[in-house]
Amino acid sequence: MKRRRLWPAIAVMALAFVSACGGSSSGSSKADLTVWVDAARLPVAKAYQKAHPDVKMDIVTFDGDGNGATTLQSKIQLWNRAGKGWPDVIFSEQANDPVWMGQKPFDFAATITDLMPDSVLSQWPATSTAQCTVDGRQVCVQDNIAQVVLWVNKKKMDEFGYTVPTTWQDWAALGAKVATEHPGYIVGNIGDSYSHWIYLWANQCPLSGVDSNTVTINATDQHCTEMADVVDPLIKNGTLPPLGVFTPDFAKQYGGDDDKVLMMPGPSWYAKAVFNDTLHMPAGEITAAPPLQWEGDSEVTTGQVGGGPWIISKHAKDSKAAADFVTYATTEFNPTGKDARPGYPAYAPAADTWLKGMAADPFFASDPTPALKDAADKIWGGWNLVTYPDQPVWSDTVVSKLVAGDSLSSLLAPFGEALANAAKAAGYEVSNS
Amino acid sequence: MKSQTAEHGRTSAADDQGGPAALSSSPVQVARSRGLHGWRGFAFTVPYLFFLVLFGILPMLYALKLAFTKASGGFAGFGNFTQTAKDYRFVPAMEHVLVYTTVWLTLLMVFVVTLALLLHGRASRASSTFRFMYYIPGALAGAASVLVWLFMLDPSVSPGSFLVHHVLGAHHFVESIAPGKLPFIFAMIAFWTGAGGWVVVLYGALNTIPTELEDAARIDGAGPFTLALRLKLPLIRKWIAYMVILSFATGTQLFVEPQLVNQASLGMVPDTWSSNQLAYQLAFRYADFNAAAAIAVDLLVIGLFAAVVIISRTGLFKAAD
Amino acid sequence: MALLLRGLRLAILSAFAVFFVAPMLWLVLAPTKSDRDLVDRGPFTFGSFHHVATAWQHLNGFSDHIYVTWIGNSLLYAISATLIVLVTAVPAGYALALGDFPGRRVVLTITLVVMIMPAAALVLPIFLELNALHLIGSVLSVILPFAFFPFGVNLAYIYYSTAIPRELLDAARVDGCGEWATFRHIALPLAKPVVALVLFFSFVSDWNNFFLPYTVLGDSTQYPIQVGLSTLLSSTPSFNPATGGGGQQVGIFRPELALATLIAVIPVAIVFMLSQRTLVRGLVGGGVKE
Repeated sequence: MKRRRLWPAIAVMALAFVSACGGSSSGSSKADLTVWVDAARLPVAKAYQKAHPDVKMDIVTFDGDGNGATTLQSKIQLWNRAGKGWPDVIFSEQANDPVWMGQKPFDFAATITDLMPDSVLSQWPATSTAQCTVDGRQVCVQDNIAQVVLWVNKKKMDEFGYTVPTTWQDWAALGAKVATEHPGYIVGNIGDSYSHWIYLWANQCPLSGVDSNTVTINATDQHCTEMADVVDPLIKNGTLPPLGVFTPDFAKQYGGDDDKVLMMPGPSWYAKAVFNDTLHMPAGEITAAPPLQWEGDSEVTTGQVGGGPWIISKHAKDSKAAADFVTYATTEFNPTGKDARPGYPAYAPAADTWLKGMAADPFFASDPTPALKDAADKIWGGWNLVTYPDQPVWSDTVVSKLVAGDSLSSLLAPFGEALANAAKAAGYEVSNS
Repeated sequence: MKSQTAEHGRTSAADDQGGPAALSSSPVQVARSRGLHGWRGFAFTVPYLFFLVLFGILPMLYALKLAFTKASGGFAGFGNFTQTAKDYRFVPAMEHVLVYTTVWLTLLMVFVVTLALLLHGRASRASSTFRFMYYIPGALAGAASVLVWLFMLDPSVSPGSFLVHHVLGAHHFVESIAPGKLPFIFAMIAFWTGAGGWVVVLYGALNTIPTELEDAARIDGAGPFTLALRLKLPLIRKWIAYMVILSFATGTQLFVEPQLVNQASLGMVPDTWSSNQLAYQLAFRYADFNAAAAIAVDLLVIGLFAAVVIISRTGLFKAAD
Repeated sequence: MALLLRGLRLAILSAFAVFFVAPMLWLVLAPTKSDRDLVDRGPFTFGSFHHVATAWQHLNGFSDHIYVTWIGNSLLYAISATLIVLVTAVPAGYALALGDFPGRRVVLTITLVVMIMPAAALVLPIFLELNALHLIGSVLSVILPFAFFPFGVNLAYIYYSTAIPRELLDAARVDGCGEWATFRHIALPLAKPVVALVLFFSFVSDWNNFFLPYTVLGDSTQYPIQVGLSTLLSSTPSFNPATGGGGQQVGIFRPELALATLIAVIPVAIVFMLSQRTLVRGLVGGGVKE
């Protein structure tokens, strides 16, 4: 009996030994500033530490809460229940994270206007600040914006003798032409989880208008139906496939040296991430043109696909230090060349520097920056972020049926209904006007 | 207690030796009274019990408490259960899980048992190589499987594109994951990752069958089929029962496969496809642990029901016989 | 006829082998190709070792060489927890199978019930417990819950109840051995197959476990490899378009992911091969009869 009882004791002692020299405990109580960043934002956190050696930082890299993940919701809940553990600054890849972070029961985000001066904050585009405003309170600053523009394959357009369209109607007419004259080429795609942000948001389709606790969802509004009428023939004739741009079969069919991408409405970050890294298109083809408009509309509006927010914690021990870091990350940190910031900086002066770098990039057929700059503050403000992600609803309700051959016009009503369900499940009231 | 002991002594003696029971019963009876009775047997389980209480019983009781209380702490009766049942995703999730579990259990029972028996029939170097090949996908989990299956299900890049075209009828990735095909896709992925482990377990179980029994049966003229079905299969029925109970529970608690296809498809397959996923979302996205606990209790009850049925049918918990 | 049956047997076994192995083979060959080759070239083509080296460079450079730390963490958690599991589960399974004490069935039942309870419901209570014990942030917050492995107890229970005849134990007792000696001299040596099984399943289960470490660990330098792989996946533009185009700096594309996955599989494969030999050899036959 005696000997048997020794074994567990030995095991526990070994463990204690191991844990003493093994794993570090999270030092958030020891560090002055704890920041949570994704892999792409790690360089800026490290640069800050280097520039401020007196500030003891704990830099934690995590998955960024992107792609509909619930990482931050679970973490914040658990920290709330434990009463400790919150980082001081978080960078999120999910544009709508600040919305639930700024409300109960999570109640994590501090008010930015208390911590950063107006002179600085006013340099963000109004639409960007609006996206970060929840219940009248600004809870984040965007690191980058993802305005939708029309990406154009200048080389092939010139080759085929086409002119770059400026309206959706012209674009659709061109699509019809392309289907007969150059079958196999595409003028866009509509199978991504965020395609509704590109086509419906841009045309002011009211699917996400928030007023305190009510969401306005009206999928049969004229702005939505007219867009559906425009894209349906293109889906049918194959120039607007309901496929996702990141799937291997898309790259195989439309990418590579002999790519078939003639035009593609998409966000600013498509520049290298999609055309170079994903589709492996050759240099000297792609450039950006201003976003398409509905013929006759005087106001220019476009959609947005992303935009990463920085959030400061309500529970930060040293809010000033946290604000200092966020200011540095958004306004000062702006290297050029291959270490350049990954997205179009939301802070306007930083954007200018960033754009200069992009203008000089030999990958593009011509300078894409004027179109990008122009569209930066044209994002339609009538589409607000909500606590629930709407991409999965689009993918599940619409894309899977588009692939099966249904038309977008027939899917608008079910899409609206599914959005309404998601809204109600998240605690919103739903109205349709 | 004593009569049970004597009965056990007689049964085991008869099973193994086929000899006169009366002769062996007395020394057996005497020996057992000095055996693992009372606190001695208990003492062997104490280290495990420490962990069972800390990470099994206490958390489970807490989860049960959550299921019957409100977020504020007050008693909620069956409120959480009715509320989750009315959620627009609840019934579809249950339907999905039902179809999936049926497909999954069928695949498992038929193929795992067949493979284990086939391998055991002619144990050789080749058998252990095959076993290794069946098992090794089990080493892949989570994020790793996402990457692999994104490519396997995409007809344009998959090594099995022929199968994807003709069996799944898909020409694009999005068609492979069309809603009607999902239960079969998930069952296939779960089988790919999980079957090997069970083949190893059943193979090990088959190895505990004394060779004399096999030889005796062969001498009596039993062919390979009879040997497998009449001799080996019944002797490993406890293991098979165990496999079915656990697989039924893991089937109804499906989470990993739809979650990884959700990631691979960038959201096209919803993250509330299965009931367990819905529970997870309720807990972590909506901060409603009480509702999540209610769904967890639903799944627990279903799993327990199946376990009770199987245990009573196969006598899984009777002491060694 | 016998030849036909043998051929059929081989055909079935081989067909399944292809099903299980083909995706793995794809995975092994993936790091030898560039991201573009993965799409353009055939699935079983070999690229070059140069691509593997590049992929490793990117992988190792990710987040300050955190990949290697993740592997080290997984080894620490899995080995420590499995040691505890062996020490607790094997004696427990033995006593539950061959013993006869009050509460035996209760323990068996509760063990099974806990296994059937969905993990999502247990995570919060475990987190709260660990927090109350001030273990959040230490490696014990992962190792201790991992050390609770009811499946191991069940394996040991079923093994001992079907593979060890009571006569063997009774013979030892008649010879005058006490309970501990009986366990050590009879049950333990015969336990090699079940120790191999429990070791194997416990190690693999700990290695692959995502949910618990994901919840209780705050610091990414403490992540085990599974959680790490998930972070890597989120840094790949093709899986996470909303990174805002951060892919080209971070340098993680599909070949890097494939390499990361492959390396993460190696320890498990080693454990499997080590356990397999004992599994095949261990047999009861001969203990009682001779």
